[in-house]
Amino acid sequence: MKTITTPGLLRLILFPLLAGIMGLNLAHAQQVEQVDTEPTLATLQKYSEKGADTCLKCHDEDSEFPVLNIFKTKHAMAADTRTPFGGLQCESCHGPAVNNEWMQGDQPEDGHTVNKVKDGEQRPPMLNFGLKSKQPVAAQNRMCLGCHQGNTHIGWQGSQHENSDISCASCHKIHTPHDPVLDRVKQPEVCYQCHQQQRAEFYKPSTHPLRFGQLSCSDCHASHGSAGSTLLNKPTLNQTCFSCHAEKRGPFLWEHAPAAEDCSLCHTPHGSIHPALLKKRAPLLCQQCHSQRGHPSVALTASGLTGSNPSRLLLLGSCTNCHSQVHGSNHPSGVKMMR
Amino acid sequence: MKKTTYRLNSALGRIVLILTLPLCSLSAADIPEDVDTSRWNCKNCEFEEGLSGSFSLGLGTVSDESFKFGEYNALYQDGAFPIADAELRYRGEEADYLNLKLQDLALDSRVLEIDGGQQGNYRLMLNYQQLSHAISNSAQTPYRGSGSDTLVLPAGWVDAGATSGMTQLDASLRDLELKTQRNRLEFGAAYIPHSEWETALKVRQEIREGSKRSTGSFFFNSAQLIEPVDYVTNELDVSATYTTREWQSRVAYYASVFTNHNESLSWDNAYNPLTAGADEGQLALPPDNQFHQLQFSTGYQMSRATRFNAELAVGRMEQDEDLLAASLNPNRVVLLPRTSANAQVDTTTLNLQMNSRISEQLNVKAAYRYNDHDNQTPSELFDWITTDTFSAVARTNLPYSFTDNELDLSADYRFSQRTKLSAGYQHKIKQRTNQEVDETSEDSLWGKLSYRSDNDIDWLIKAEHAQRDASGYNLVAQTDPSQSLLMRKYNLADRVREAGSISASFNPNESSTLSLSVDLAQDDYSDSLVGLTESNEIHYNLDSSFILSESTSLHDFAGREVIKSHQAGSQTFSVADWFALNRDTTDSFGVGLKHLLMENKLELGADLVLMHARGEIRIENTANFPDLETNLETLKFYASYQLRENMTVNAAYWYERYDAKDWALDNIDVDTLSSVIGFGETVPDYSVQALMVSLRYKF
Repeated sequence: MKTITTPGLLRLILFPLLAGIMGLNLAHAQQVEQVDTEPTLATLQKYSEKGADTCLKCHDEDSEFPVLNIFKTKHAMAADTRTPFGGLQCESCHGPAVNNEWMQGDQPEDGHTVNKVKDGEQRPPMLNFGLKSKQPVAAQNRMCLGCHQGNTHIGWQGSQHENSDISCASCHKIHTPHDPVLDRVKQPEVCYQCHQQQRAEFYKPSTHPLRFGQLSCSDCHASHGSAGSTLLNKPTLNQTCFSCHAEKRGPFLWEHAPAAEDCSLCHTPHGSIHPALLKKRAPLLCQQCHSQRGHPSVALTASGLTGSNPSRLLLLGSCTNCHSQVHGSNHPSGVKMMR
Repeated sequence: MKKTTYRLNSALGRIVLILTLPLCSLSAADIPEDVDTSRWNCKNCEFEEGLSGSFSLGLGTVSDESFKFGEYNALYQDGAFPIADAELRYRGEEADYLNLKLQDLALDSRVLEIDGGQQGNYRLMLNYQQLSHAISNSAQTPYRGSGSDTLVLPAGWVDAGATSGMTQLDASLRDLELKTQRNRLEFGAAYIPHSEWETALKVRQEIREGSKRSTGSFFFNSAQLIEPVDYVTNELDVSATYTTREWQSRVAYYASVFTNHNESLSWDNAYNPLTAGADEGQLALPPDNQFHQLQFSTGYQMSRATRFNAELAVGRMEQDEDLLAASLNPNRVVLLPRTSANAQVDTTTLNLQMNSRISEQLNVKAAYRYNDHDNQTPSELFDWITTDTFSAVARTNLPYSFTDNELDLSADYRFSQRTKLSAGYQHKIKQRTNQEVDETSEDSLWGKLSYRSDNDIDWLIKAEHAQRDASGYNLVAQTDPSQSLLMRKYNLADRVREAGSISASFNPNESSTLSLSVDLAQDDYSDSLVGLTESNEIHYNLDSSFILSESTSLHDFAGREVIKSHQAGSQTFSVADWFALNRDTTDSFGVGLKHLLMENKLELGADLVLMHARGEIRIENTANFPDLETNLETLKFYASYQLRENMTVNAAYWYERYDAKDWALDNIDVDTLSSVIGFGETVPDYSVQALMVSLRYKF
């Protein structure tokens, strides 16, 4: 049984800090109240007269921006009133388009509608999504969050991806029946667009099987935000690993302290040039922590590779030739991980 | 011709932001009362209805058997294999739907996914997935009973003090195949009783069978052994989510119950027993265990600008397997202080986070993270037997507990749409029990600048400095023999970390990107005289994809990674007297081309990836270790030709070459080591070609 107390320093810092933010927030909320009373665009303009039919006049399969595949997606399920096509159709997400007069500073008149853009005319700005969108990422994402704020998206705001100004459309393709990022086989390529280092790591000789489509990034990571430091699915790294490696969970009678604390002290998750995703070879990996008198502290040099009696401490499994139970042992005589 | 142009500047950004705010708080069906949708007939909307799908049938062939090539893709055997995939979709008028997917039906990697229900109301899922892990097919062993929990030597076996004296070893060898197979069956259901509520249930059973490597020893004599894998893991995940515009909450219960059908692995001693009765050894295999966790997450939009998130997870890990005998040696019988493990760890994680946009430019964030791993396993004195051979000095089991307290503060200031500066501070305290350091305290400062230059290149520059201090390093009294006084374990030691990165990415259009990045990190353990003293790594990455023409696209990547570390040891147990360097260098390069021909009816593509890895180990003032090397070349050609609107023929050719040098395995035969009976495995070295042709019919 342990005796660990919450450090006083954190309490001293944390609670005044949260109180300060609350104060700032209240002050800001008053400011926002004032903004809320000001007319917004939604009160200034109108939606189209014919809904999606207006858009689809141009956005067919031959256009530069074809959209008809939206009708093969969950978003275009009219009978599901939560979806865009159960509501304001295209304008559910893209918003009511803005007319010329309004952009020049005049308020739109009642009855104003979106019209087909004539040749040579530039499309009036409306909310669009993706890398080339001119709208702020926060504005794009806020639209998606209007419906997708619950469940696994609760932690999106304030998450690493949100802080890095990643738009939903950076990863998700909406007008396609098969969004690649939701496909176990294709998902890694989407993630590799930014996480290039991980792409290279998955070609290393020891790795998890993403290259063959057996796993995907989201089997371990919660891209929409999580409590952990590296967007892991579970609250801690070890819990994430144990979801597939439950046999290593224990708790064991004889624990190996680093294994119980943090798998990543010895393993690297995305790929290694050493077996079993280890960070380095035994015996040097083990000798980073084990210096007991006798064989653990001996310098095992290349001279042990050859000769009349090659070293059992170096070759094959090295330390694990005897200490095979490195994740912990439940044997009464397993104190040294040999049983 | 009248041409209207618009100035898209930050003012517009603000306008659009304001525009979207009221919209985003609408669920899609919340049509404002003043919107007249009477003419929204959606006559051009091509809603999907009815049954559609596709199936593929074909044949593939693999030129050579290789467990490394087929490590995870199930193509570890040579010869022909059938290709059978299928997809089925049904869409009804009332949002009812069904998706069915079958993949790799004829291989050990087969997948079945069924997902159906009524969107917005309920959902049912049934998934089955096989994951094959081919480990080795070059191993040999003299033991009989591989795959079971008892390994015996063949009749007539002659014990010896060393492998060279085991006269029956060669004649007794049998070939082995090491592989495991996971079969996962998952059932899921979700029900939406109300637009603000969603409930979900997921039940998964994974059966994992096969065999893997292990070793067992009698003091300093050991043998590589086949460990049976016969696991069942049952998981349950139940959740309920409540979502409104301002407040979202989720409560979930997760259970994972692991069962191993083998509690131990026993094996005959192939060596001359060092003491009378040390004829048989026994390893404890992974024990049955359970984990239960209740998790509550919530997010509250306190105002338009401020959000509060919290997550609390309370769990318990339990393991109460009956303890094995301390030894199978009839001459080494000891009494145990208890009969079962009685192991228990209570886990608690709490995360609080507040994110507030103080102004259009300034965003601040504060987060507190608490993680407690409270090991309540009773700590008792155990008499024990070293490897079924010698009696040993009694030891006390040490239940390790730890607690993390972490505070994160950060702020982003957006100078303009193109420039954002972020900075943060993190204070982390980790407390441990039964270890050399009771408490480490780490302070980190970081900064990040993101900037879009006039030529639309996105720059990202990050820097971090962190310092970790240990409260004091004291040997753990119960450890015998004790550690060197100079040892500082790297996860407990004083450390200074410097990290930085710079990246530039350019997106000339939605389909073209060019990005370059350099990441480096250095950990300095300068107060550690023995143990890890320094580690650093640097990563260079280049990645690009281009649309070369309307019908041709190109993508490529290249990277170099160098991971280097220094460590020291003390074999005289007085001063640091040996120093080692590890340096792992990995170079990777890939290029792919896709080309469309014949009015897009024919798609041709090729992907080439080259990877070279080198691991260097140097012990100062001694001869160098041979380099560890791995080379991988993989080349894929694929073609897809649309015979008819609903019929496509697909062909793929895959060539992969792999070779490696590994001094730990190269030329190490079963009896090369005098005190380890090895498997005599060879380092993977293959050159495999695979050809696949299939016909896809779409309906």
